[in-house]
Order: sequence, then structure tokens, then C-alpha cells
Amino acid sequence: MVKEEQEESSNRPDNTAFTQQRLPAWQPILSASIVIPMFLLIGAAFIGVGVALFITSRDIQLQELDYTGDDSEHPCFKCRTNTEKCTCSMTFSIPTLFKGPVFFYYGLTNYFQNQRKYGASKDDNQLYGDLNYFTSPSTDCDPYTRDSKNMPIVPCGALANSMFNDTFTLSHTVNGVQKIVPLDGKGIAWWTDYNIKYRNPSITPLINAFNGTKKPTNWPKPIYELDTTDVYNNGFINQDFLVWMRRAALPDFRKLYRRITHDDYAAGLPAGNYTLTIAYNYPVHSFNGKKKVVLSNVSWMGGKNDFLGIAYIVVGSMCVVMSVVMLIVYARFKFAEDV
Amino acid sequence: MSKEDVESGLTWEVKANSRHYHKHKQRKSFLCFTWGRYSDNVVRSHKYSLLTFLPLTLFEQFQRAANIYFLLMVVLQCVPAISSIPWYITIIPLLVVLSVRGLKDLASDMARRRCDSEINSRPCDVLVSQSFMTAQWKDVCVGDLLRIRRDQIIPADLLLLSSSEPHSLCYVETADIDGETNLKYRQALGATHNELTSHPSEEALGAFNGVVLCEEPNNRLYTFRGQLQWQGECFLLENEHVLLRGTVLRNTDFAYGLTIYTATGADTKILRNCGKLRAKRTQLEEVFNKVVIGIVLSVLLAALLLAIGAGVFSYQVMTQTSFLSALVVDGNPAYNGFLVYWSYIILLSPAMPIALYITFEVIHTIHSKFIGWDLEMYWKQTDKPAEARNTSLSEELGQVGYLLSDKTGTLTQNRLLLRQCCIAGQIYGKYDELCGTGSQAADYSVPMDLSWNPFSSGGLRMFSPTLVETLRGQRCPVTTQFLSALALCHTVMAEWKEGSPVYQAASPDEETLVGAARELGWVFLSRTRDFVVVSELGATRQYQLLALLDFTSKRRRMSVLVVRDPEGGLKLYCKGADVVILERLQKNCPHQTVLGNKVDGLNLFAEACLRTLCVAVRSVPEALWERWSETLALSAAMATCERDTLLEKLYDEMERDLLLLGVTAIEDRLQEGVPETIALLQEAGIRVWVLTGDKKETAVNIGYACRLLHPESRLLEWQELRSAFIHEILFCSRRQILQSADPQVSFFKAKQTELWATHKEMARAKTSVVLTGSELAEFEERPEWGASFMSLAEQCQSVLCCRVTPAQKAEIVKLVRKHTASITMSIGDGANDVNMIKTAHIGVGLAGREGGQAVHNADFAVSQFRFLQRLLLVHGRWSYRRISLFLRYFLFKTCGFALVHIWFGILNGFSAQSLYETWFIALYTVFYTAVPVMCMAFFEQDVSAESSLKFPELYKSGQKKELSSPRKLVTYLLYAVYMSLVLFFIPCGVFYNTAYDYQTMAVTVSMAATFAVTVEIVILTKYWTKFNIAALCVSVVMFFICTRITHSTRLFQSSPADYFFLGVSEKAFIDPVVWLTALLTAWTAVLPSVTFHAFNVILSVHNKHKAFIRKQILLEVELTSRFARGSSLRRSSYAISQGAGPGRLIHSATSIQRAEALKEEKVSTSKKVQNENGNG
Repeated sequence: MVKEEQEESSNRPDNTAFTQQRLPAWQPILSASIVIPMFLLIGAAFIGVGVALFITSRDIQLQELDYTGDDSEHPCFKCRTNTEKCTCSMTFSIPTLFKGPVFFYYGLTNYFQNQRKYGASKDDNQLYGDLNYFTSPSTDCDPYTRDSKNMPIVPCGALANSMFNDTFTLSHTVNGVQKIVPLDGKGIAWWTDYNIKYRNPSITPLINAFNGTKKPTNWPKPIYELDTTDVYNNGFINQDFLVWMRRAALPDFRKLYRRITHDDYAAGLPAGNYTLTIAYNYPVHSFNGKKKVVLSNVSWMGGKNDFLGIAYIVVGSMCVVMSVVMLIVYARFKFAEDV
Repeated sequence: MSKEDVESGLTWEVKANSRHYHKHKQRKSFLCFTWGRYSDNVVRSHKYSLLTFLPLTLFEQFQRAANIYFLLMVVLQCVPAISSIPWYITIIPLLVVLSVRGLKDLASDMARRRCDSEINSRPCDVLVSQSFMTAQWKDVCVGDLLRIRRDQIIPADLLLLSSSEPHSLCYVETADIDGETNLKYRQALGATHNELTSHPSEEALGAFNGVVLCEEPNNRLYTFRGQLQWQGECFLLENEHVLLRGTVLRNTDFAYGLTIYTATGADTKILRNCGKLRAKRTQLEEVFNKVVIGIVLSVLLAALLLAIGAGVFSYQVMTQTSFLSALVVDGNPAYNGFLVYWSYIILLSPAMPIALYITFEVIHTIHSKFIGWDLEMYWKQTDKPAEARNTSLSEELGQVGYLLSDKTGTLTQNRLLLRQCCIAGQIYGKYDELCGTGSQAADYSVPMDLSWNPFSSGGLRMFSPTLVETLRGQRCPVTTQFLSALALCHTVMAEWKEGSPVYQAASPDEETLVGAARELGWVFLSRTRDFVVVSELGATRQYQLLALLDFTSKRRRMSVLVVRDPEGGLKLYCKGADVVILERLQKNCPHQTVLGNKVDGLNLFAEACLRTLCVAVRSVPEALWERWSETLALSAAMATCERDTLLEKLYDEMERDLLLLGVTAIEDRLQEGVPETIALLQEAGIRVWVLTGDKKETAVNIGYACRLLHPESRLLEWQELRSAFIHEILFCSRRQILQSADPQVSFFKAKQTELWATHKEMARAKTSVVLTGSELAEFEERPEWGASFMSLAEQCQSVLCCRVTPAQKAEIVKLVRKHTASITMSIGDGANDVNMIKTAHIGVGLAGREGGQAVHNADFAVSQFRFLQRLLLVHGRWSYRRISLFLRYFLFKTCGFALVHIWFGILNGFSAQSLYETWFIALYTVFYTAVPVMCMAFFEQDVSAESSLKFPELYKSGQKKELSSPRKLVTYLLYAVYMSLVLFFIPCGVFYNTAYDYQTMAVTVSMAATFAVTVEIVILTKYWTKFNIAALCVSVVMFFICTRITHSTRLFQSSPADYFFLGVSEKAFIDPVVWLTALLTAWTAVLPSVTFHAFNVILSVHNKHKAFIRKQILLEVELTSRFARGSSLRRSSYAISQGAGPGRLIHSATSIQRAEALKEEKVSTSKKVQNENGNG
């Protein structure tokens, strides 16, 4: 008998909440009186956010100048197919004060910086300053690993090779005199890029590190001469280089070129006429790309972005409409039942 | 099989007491015998060793298509030209999956290993140079002589040489082999018995030098052919001389045996019999597999289109002097497209979720555990919880459309009681004999006073003082003979415990009858091979047992031939199914009137749901016996296949000119809760069919008793059906009658006027089909009727098939499977149900009193029929819901996440650029989204267990496959496509023409994807346990933490090329635009789902409410009406068991052989017999 009882207890399942599937649980019971207001509320919230975004975005001033020069009337038309050094200038006027700080972007379209091969065509170890990879760059960089004489290219790869190399000067016409607007090129790259991701080899002078290497084929000057005036803006940690190396997400993109934060222009660009002088080097004509210069100020949400605000408003409105539909359906049901 | 080549078949040679011979000599003397033939007795059921584990487990696992697919992906990723994501992104999950399964296999293998070593080290006594030494099982060799003690398990297949019992009998329990708990007995050859027991055992055994020639090892448990050559003579060996490994020696102090087959190499019969449970796949899984294949094909197609795009793009780029043109490999756009094709296959491969199958398995396992853990399905009496033997079917429990049930032991208790008997025309145990005479007293609560009988143990439930009087007064010789027959004619074993015999019987019917005889004073005391000892009203008598005429399914009867001491007259007692016995009675039966009465009795008993057996006697002249026994001995020695037919003919000669003594009537009670369960299941939309071997009257009565049939339901029988079918087939113009959606109404239109006007619903509730086996056979000849029959049966409340054979049971299951898309479930408890249990989608074995055959072959085992309520309505329903939700959510989350790359491809030059950080791809399925959905799959309950049982119609959604239809899955896939569109194009809109870089966008989209799938699981989960909440929070937090970690400086510094997302999340997580975009995207992505669920809430609240109210009203109405209708005349609360109690040949080891066959036949035989009788 005793044995039997023991056996019984051995086969008997445990009586716990888990095994008996009686875990205490919260079972939210949804009803129309929760669902409909919830939809309404969410819709309203989205519309609210959307309106706020839209207003903020609308208040952001934006000046966009296309300087590709496809149009024969365009001042830059002559530079379009010119492979030599070429400068052109465009004038534009700003009707009211362009509030500062003003950000100076260059923009490209139809430019597939997000192409996989293109994006992968670099050597992170090399860019991290690892000298081993100076002499033998990663094959990811193909066909920009070595030049025709089999010399390793530093920085290797298509991404670096195709670095944007137009330069701009902006001048303000004050009383008929061209006054150069100072452009601030400091801190335009990501902090992590500048401080961690990209490192110059710890060899001074920097040029010695590049012995036995070649500059990228498209570059007019080697990387260690990008900014000879400032060692902290030279080599791999050149701000323009870093900005370029941070790939764009989509084929139409902007990249930060400079900020206007100095002197008289710290508060913004006063109304008036401006001239943009472009050192036109970068060819985009062949792939139907466009080049632009964009002046913009920013708000809490960054640059101008109408899409986000509109999308919020649209989605919010859909929710509101849905809640109204639900209300109607609900009312008809209730009505039908009462009858 | 190999009976034809008896002579040549005996190639296995075993020499007693010569280890040497088996180890060395053998090899030299016989070329065909290699050294390895006779091995030791070590069981090695484990598959793996230290060296073989890795290759074997990999080999096994890579037989799965999914694993191969992912291996292919890994290989592709290792090709630098096409590697769109690093190789470790897929190999990590693949390794996880492989190692999880590998470890699981290893664990079970270790368990087997432990079990093996435990078995291998069991002690046993081996004869070594004339004395027995204790050795371990693994040391036993072929040719060794073993001594087995009482209650020891037999270590190898032995030839029984002698035992401590007289005549060298010994009893074995074969529970481990066939699940039957009754004792079988085995007997040594007379020659070995005489020689080995007359001298001091050990010396004699040591000197034993017989040679056994027998069959090669095989898996036929119930046959053994061989011969023993000893002392110049040759003895035939049969199954009765063999003790099988795994059986237990009982009631015998010692038995000595010669090892014939050993365990290594699985030579023993039991090891040769370890079949594998065949894998059943659920319908849902099949649908799902198709969907997965569909996904893979779509992915291939999408990759192809993208590759074409890539080719075109490359071509364009080449014609321009672009920065990209140098990147076109070999300057060949087509080749570029080709490479991109493979890259995209890799990139899109996460759409086919690698973790799915392993997760699926884990969930199934947990669901099965829940079934085993359920206290409400735990049966105290036998200490058995429910068991899910097949762990991969749990969701089908929620979709069952047809329940096909066995009757005996399933609906009924299979606890047989002798209720009435009819002796010499007099019926005993009738109601009018009860003092109360009212039907209320029919529960037999008043036992008869049997205190005069010292052997009475109070088990008799027949109340008949008249019978006792008649017996004690010895007034009627027929009655006395009847009781003698009951006490003698059987195959029961008696085991003495505490001064009284305890009966062990294979057939519950026999046990009941012998027990009843014992209560009435005819006590079966013991048996040896040649004698049966019976105490007749206190006077002990020894009957010499001359012959035992075996029960076979064909014969449907058994007899014993005994010498009656002291008169010396020979008597043949015979019992069997009524038809068989009645046709063997004397031509001029002196009790013609009695016979008439008896037949009356038969009908009377049948009406009362009692199972009947006829008992008859014959006085055999001495001369006849002598002649007969000579022929018998002759034919018995033939040892060929003709022997069986010959024996049958011989037996038939003997069982003639019988004198009918009486008829017994045995009752079998319904199990607890059966009517309620059937009613509930029917309300749940499950069509319950009962398939029984019983005769029609009994089956119908039981149908009423268990509410399968309504008291006023119309029974459609074969004649009507048949004419309807013929009608239909002849007049094709009226085909719509039966093939239309509503064959019922038109059927009645054609056939029945009285129900013509009845509402179809009503008609359905009131119509049942009753068929018999022979009619079914006719049916099977015309397969074109199948569809019509099924469409008709669908309209009927229930279907009852009587007198069906096990094969027919399976046929019916097949019919249902063929003509409906529903899931079928079979439930049964006996060996006769094994066929149908295996045929149905789900087989349920009832762990009842009959042997374990059904359970062994079933997918689920429960102890009581009523546990089906919980198994189906609670566990099944939950399981179905959980798994459906799980599968579609899993599809949604992986596809929605992976297909983004298609859209991104359009804007990145079809270059197979990933939109995610590679680590996100790897971690997304494992860490960020897997746990919440698993929690949901474990714990989800839309309604509680109580409500599930209270509102059975909730079950119908599973039958209609509402949650898992291919349409639903496809809808969900479209939803995933929509999500992927949203996931890409909203961030795309936001980031277009801005200064945001690719990596920020990648993090934004990852964030949106994580949010979207998290919201989706929140919507799907209705039951929030603490685990769900924790899992959800942890998953989301994990996303942020892991993202930060993979973007950290430290990891970047250790490997710049692998962790190149340095600093992105740091910046992105504080950027309002990123957050606003992610939130907008996530919300837009789940908006359809949210809206759908919201509409569901609004609409269904009303529906459910209404449904429940209506249901309750209905229930009340039905209940009251039922009470009003209740018929007190029908003894419908009791059911009887199936066919005749089989005689099992006691002194032939073939009894075990036929154990299953017997049970199977039982059903069919007695049914047929009785029905023929009824018809005749």
C-alpha cells in the first residue's frame, strides 16, 4: 500500500500555476469604448506632431542652387565637360535675414553612393591607420587597390577615389563690394569618425607613413596634403574626407560642406545679394547627375523636412477617419440590436 | 514467411556449454559462420560514441532541407564576389540550431547509454564449470546455461531446459513485450526435463551437451522454429520452449535455460521488434511548409528580377564614364547580374526563417508537456497522467472534425460483470428476482448471501437466490454441469495469494466467468499441464486435462477435453459465440424446448445490452478419444503450415453433437462521463462515430445510453441508404440531390415523407446512420458511393458502425479522410483499434485494462474517455490557436524584415546592399523578436479552460481552420510585404535628399522594424503573464543594448571591418527625426493589423454576446426536453462488451502468439455470429 501511494505521488503532475496553465495573467478586454477613443487619440496625437513638424519645417529657410550647368544659359555650362580647372560663379539674393547658424551643403543627385560594391570598396583597417594595410590593402578595394605599377593606393577603393572635390566661396555684396563670407569647416564630420574610426598613422611627419604608396588615381593631390595648414585636418581625419566617406543612404543626398558661424554672419546671412564661386572639378554630367549647393538653417528637428510632417498628418488623419468609421459601424450595430 | 524452407531455415547453431566452440571453433569448421556471429549480451542502443557523434549528428541534421538550405547560404556567403553579408551572420544561427538539436540528441543518447549500462550490469547466474556464478548480463554468451530466479528478468532469449516446477513448467509475464499483464506459461521438453531434474542439477546441466539448430534471429515474437539434437535424438522446438528476453519469471523458483540469441546485434526477438513510431505531419505544418517553399521560390524570383535590374544598371553605368563603371566586374553586365543574383539570394534568405523549425519543435514539446502536466487529465486509480507520445501533433487536436471511437473499453469500462445466465431454459438473475422488483434496485446494491462459500470474495453482481438454491441442492445436473464447464473450460491461471486463488487471465470475459463460478461454489483452484483442480461446493476434484482446443478467431470457440474423476468419463466442455455453438448442437437435442428458450434468452440478453456466450458439453466415447488423440499427435508433429488447418479440422470433428448447457450474459458499464463528453463534443461540431465489433442491437442501445443517438432520432439503415444511392446514381439528373450542399433534405424528399417538411437543422439533429460490417463490405465494393455517403453522414448526428473488423475500422477512417478535409481522430484501447489509431490523423490510446497495444501505437494516451473533453476543447483549441498565431507571426516578422531589401535595391543600383547592419540581421530573429512570440505560443489563452468547456462552439473555429487557412497565411504574407514597403519607403521619404547617411537610415529602419513587430505581438497577445511582459520588455531593451554594443568603440577597435557602425546609434538614438521616423514607420506598418483587430473587437463583441446568449437558451430547452423524453424502460445506462471470451490455448505457447489476433477477431466474430443468428 505504501509503495502504491509513493508511486502515485511520483506520477502525479505537479500542481503549479505553470503546469496547470493558470498563471496569473492580465487579459485586457478591449471594447468599442476603448478602441474608438484610442484610435481617435492616436490620430490626434499624430496630427499634432505632424502639424508641429510641418510648421517647424516651413520656418526653416532654404536656398538651393543647382550649378550643374546643364542649361546652356547657365554660368557653369562651360565647366560642364571641361576637364581642366574651371571656375564659375552664380549670384543669388536673399530677401530677408537668413537666420543663423547657416549650414552650407553640397548636394548630388543620381549618385549611387549606396551601391554595395562602391560602399564596400574601402579598407577600414587602413583608414584606422594600420600601416600593415598601407602596403597590402584589402581586396575589397578592387580595382582601386593598386595602381598600374602595382603600387598600393592609400586610401584605396572607389569610395575614396571618387571624393567630391568642388570647392566653393561665398561672397556677400555689400555696397557693391564683394565681402567673403567666412566658412567654418571644423566639426562638420562625426565625432566618432574624427576621433576613433579614422586615424592617421602615428608617424610624423605624416608624409613618411605614405612612403611606397600612391594617391588615388582621381585625386589631384595625395591624402597627406588635403590640408597642409592644419595637422588635425589632414590625412585620414580631414573633415571633408570624413564627410565624403560617410556614405549617403539614397541616390539623392546632401553633404555638409561648411557652416557659417563667424564674424558678422554668426546670426545669419543678412538680406542682400550673394555670389557663389565654384571651383568646378567634379564630373557628374556623364551619369546625368546634378550638383547643388544648399544653404539652410536648422531647427530642433534638423534640416527642412516637409515629408515627415505631412506623413504624420496623413497617418494621423487616417486614424481619425478610421475611428469615425468604427463609430458608425458600432452605432449601426447597437442600433440594430436595440431594434 | 519462411515457413516453406523449414529444413533449410535452421541455420543458427548453438552448442550448449561450449563458449569455446562459439568463440573459436565455429569459425574454422563452418565457413559461413564468422567469428562475429555469436556475440556477447551487451545492449548498445546508443547511437553515438565520442568519435562518431559529430559526423553522425551532422549527417542526420543535414538531411533536413532547411538545414541544407542554410548551409548553402553559408557557403555562398563565403564566396567574396557575391557575399552581400558576412558569412558569420548565417552561420551563427545555423550553429545554434545545429547545436541545440545535437545536444538534444546527445542528451537522449546519454540517457540511453545510462539505461544500457544499467541493463548490462544486471546480475544473473551463469553456469561456469558445473557451478553457477553471478555474472552480469553483458557477460552472457550464446550457449551459456543460465539460472533464472523468481521475478528475475530474463537476459537473453533462452531455451527452457527445466525448472523447479513439476513438468518443468514455468510462468512468464510478458508485459514488456505485448503489454499484457496476464501470465503465460512455458514448458521444457519432456526429455530435458526428465534428464536434468532427475540428477543433481548443476552437474547434469554442466554435462548437457545438446545442440540447438534454429532460425536465424528474427523479429517474429510468437513463432520459433528449431530442433534440439541431444543424446542422438532430435526434438522439435517451438515457441513454448523459449523464454524471451525482457519477460519476467513468475511463480517459479528456478528455471534453467540455454542462451540462444543474445542482445548484441539485436538478435533477441524483443530488440528486433523495436519499431519506430512513424512520423505524422500535421496539416498545418504541411500548409506551412508549402508557404515556406513559396517564400523561397518568391525569393528566387525576386532575386532574379533584381539581378536583371542589376545587369541593366551595370550596362547603363558602363556606357557612362561614371565613378561606378570600374566596379562592373570584368566589364560584363550579365556576369555582374549573375553575381548579384546570388548576393540577393543570400540577402533575402532571412525571409525563410532558420529558427522557425527549431522554435516550432520547442513549442510543440512544451504543449505536449502541458498535456502531460494537466491534473484534470490525471487518473488517480491507475496513477496515469495523460501522455503525448507524439509531440508534434498538438495543434491538430484543435481541429478535429471526426471522432471515431471504439466502444468496448473506450466508452465502456471493460469491467465485466456476470449479470444473468440462462441454464436449461431457466433465466437467472432477472429483475423480477430482485426483492425490490423496481428498476431502481437494478444497481445491484444488494449482494447475495454467499457466506456459505469460503472462497467467495464478493465479486458477484448477479442476484439470483434461485440459482444458488438449485446449485446447493444439486437438484439439476445441467446446472451443475454448467458451473463445471465455467470452472474448467478456460485458460485462466490461478496464483495463490494469502490462501485464496487470484486469477490471471488474458481475456476479461474468462476472468469474469471463472470468478462468477467461484462465487457460486465451483472454485478453480490450480492447474498444471495435465490437471485442473476444482473445488465443487467444497469437494476438491482433480480433472485430467486431455486436450485443450484452442480459441482462434476463425473458430470463435474453445473447448477442453477432460477426464472426469471418479467416473472416468470423458467430457468435452465448449464455450463460444452463439452461432458457432448452436450449429454444433445435437440434431435431436433432448432439450428442444430448452433450446428455444435459450435462443429467447439470447435475444433477451442482447436487448438488455448484455454480451452472451453459449456453453455446451459433450460426452466423448473412449474409443473416439483414442482414435482422435492419435491423429492429433500425428498432426501435431507435422510442424508445417498445413498443421493449423489440419488441427482445425480435427478440433471441428471433436466439437460436435454438443449439448447446450446455458448462456451467460456479461455486462460492461459505461465509463464515467461518457454521455456528457459525447454531447459536449457534438456541440463542439465534432461528429462522433462509434465503430464497434458488437452486434447491432447492443451497439444501438449503447448509442442511446451514451447520448450518441437521441431517443427520438431516426435511424437510417442500410436498405434506405442503399436505395438512395442507387437512386442517385441511376438518375443522374437528380444528382444534385445528394451532391448538393443539402443532400439531407432532398434525401428525405425522396425517401421519407414524414420528415419531409422538417427543418434541415432538426433533421440533422435527429438522424443517425447505423451500418454493419457486412453492409460496409458491400459499400467498399462501390467506391462511388463514398462521396455520397460522406455528404449524407455530414448531415447526420452520428454514425454507428457495428460488427466491423479492425481492418474495416481503418477503412472507415480512410473513407472519412478521403472525402473530407477534416482532421480525424481515432480513440481505442485494444489491439483491435491499433489499425484505426494508426490510420487517423490523430490516434488516441486509452490506457485501459486491455493490453498496451493501443497506447503504444497512439499519438496521445489518456486514461478516461471523458478526458477527451479537455484534450480537445482545452489543450487542442489552445494549441491550435497558439501555433497558428505563432506561425503567421513568425512569417510576418521575418518576411517583413527581409523583403525590405527588394525595395532598397531599386534605389541602390540593384547591388544587394543590405539595409541593415549585419549584426542586426543576425540578432533580430534570435534576441529581439523570438522570445515574446515564444511566450505567446506557450501561454496564450483567449478564453479560460472553463469557458472553453462551457462554450464548445468556440472549438469550431479550429475545424474551419479559421486561423490557419492558406488564404490567411497568404494574407499575412501580403501584410508582411506591405510592412516591408512601409519600412523602406517612409524612411526613404524622410531621408531623401538630406544629409542623413546610410548608417543612420539603417538604424532607423531597424528600430522601426523592431517596433513594428513588437506592436504586432502586443496586438496578438491576449493573455499577459509576467513572462510575456518580461520577454517583451527584455526584447526591446535588448535591441537598444545590443545595438549600442555592436556600435561601440571597443568592438570597433578590435575589428574595424566587422563593427563599422561605430557611433551610429549613439548619434541616432538622440536624434528626434530618427525617433519620429521610426515611430511613424512602425505605426504605419502595423496600422492594417491594428485596424483589423479594432474592427474585430467592435464586431465580435456583439456576435459573441449574442452567440452565448442564444446558446444558453438552446441548452436549457434541450435539457428540459431530454428529461421529458427519458425512457426508463431502456436499460441504457449500461453497455456490454464485445464478442465472445476467447479461449486461449493454455498448454501451447501459441497463446501469446495470438494475443493480438484474438482481440481483433473477438469483435468481428461474435458480431457476425450474433447478427446472422438474429437475421436467420
